[in-house]
Amino acid sequence: MEAVANNQLVSIEKPEIVAPPNWEPVIIGILCNWCSYAGSDLTGTSRIQYPPNIRIIRVPCSSRVDPWFLIKSLQTTADGVLVSGCHPGDCHYITGNYFARRRFLVTKKLLSFVGFHEDRVQFSWVSAAEGPKFAKVVAKVTEDIKKLGPLHLYKKENFDK
Amino acid sequence: MDYTKQIQEIVAKLFAEDKIDVFAGYRMTGFDENQVPVLIQSSGEVSRLVFNDKSVFNLCNYLKYDHTRNKRVGLVVKGCDSRSLNLLLTEGQVKRERLYIVGIACDGVVDEQGNKMQNCEECMFPDALVYDELLGTQHPEGKYKVNSDIKELASKGLVERRAYFEEIFESCIRCNACRHSCPLCYCTKCCIDQETSKLYNGANNTSSAFHALMTWSLHLAGRCVDCRNCEKACPSHLPLHLLHKWNERVIYENFQEHLSGVKEGDRGAFYKYSLQDPDDFIM
Repeated sequence: MEAVANNQLVSIEKPEIVAPPNWEPVIIGILCNWCSYAGSDLTGTSRIQYPPNIRIIRVPCSSRVDPWFLIKSLQTTADGVLVSGCHPGDCHYITGNYFARRRFLVTKKLLSFVGFHEDRVQFSWVSAAEGPKFAKVVAKVTEDIKKLGPLHLYKKENFDK
Repeated sequence: MDYTKQIQEIVAKLFAEDKIDVFAGYRMTGFDENQVPVLIQSSGEVSRLVFNDKSVFNLCNYLKYDHTRNKRVGLVVKGCDSRSLNLLLTEGQVKRERLYIVGIACDGVVDEQGNKMQNCEECMFPDALVYDELLGTQHPEGKYKVNSDIKELASKGLVERRAYFEEIFESCIRCNACRHSCPLCYCTKCCIDQETSKLYNGANNTSSAFHALMTWSLHLAGRCVDCRNCEKACPSHLPLHLLHKWNERVIYENFQEHLSGVKEGDRGAFYKYSLQDPDDFIM
């Protein structure tokens, strides 16, 4: 409670973990090649600013994202994960994102069940023309995760001895 | 519930008519009242077979191993086992014409202490759904209920849930018995083994247990039939059903009341989609 009174950031899952000064979250962004990756490219070429906390990984389709990717990201460096793909109906592979949508829901709910805050993993649909929307999404995710504090659960490095 | 005599007669007849090469059933351990699975190869061994409410294990597990591959197999299935058998048939892992299935209209099995198992008390499909021959009287179909322990955990706060599951992952010893005992884990190479990765290979700690159990339960999401073979096999007595039942609940509530293995030809929840799937959690 003291840490909160001093206006310090604490991890929401483990209140005893206090964020170091000037802590910045690391966010892994897994983007689909055909829509969201092109959308993020458009954000850059349009010179729209967005937070530099996101590290982007390009995948062929949002249904390429195994829930395992999210688990592994959260275990290694990430404080949060953003997965983004084409809008429903716009998938380059016709139905890929419909399958992905089911998996995302179950993964999100399971992670929140075992004690991760729901906002640690977030999902969005961003098309190739939505540069401003991508900037807004990244800003929102970064802000959300800054509120949650550092993720300290099951981190691989804590067990490497 | 004691079908020892009927099963012995059926199996003796099957061997006499040369319909099967091997029969998977249960035998007494010889030490106590508990039972273990047994594979019978000839009619002379038939007297070893038993079946009563201590016959807890899921015998569909033996269909994926070499001692029954490419043979004509007979086996006993209860309601939950028949759901996993349905999935194995649907996913093309076993051929129906090679099987002779003795279905049981199950009244529920008991654990080592003699109490009725939790999943049997809440069982929706106690009767075998796929069979050549059914023993016992059929039950009316049950209604879907959310587990009481799932409800209790879900009502707790985030920090308490985190602490509860951290303890569970801490006591896992990564023996992978849950995976080996699962009738639906039939891949010959498994991604949780990570043979090429130094990150997880051979590691025995909370982090790797978290990785293994979460990945495993997500690969079984929409397929798990709640036979609890994993829990019976776990040397640390971890409540592994929590992960599976939670997934089952999310899938049942959101994806048109999907329940795995109920109909033959119905694949897992992640093999299909609907335009009406919830979209409100996506920005």
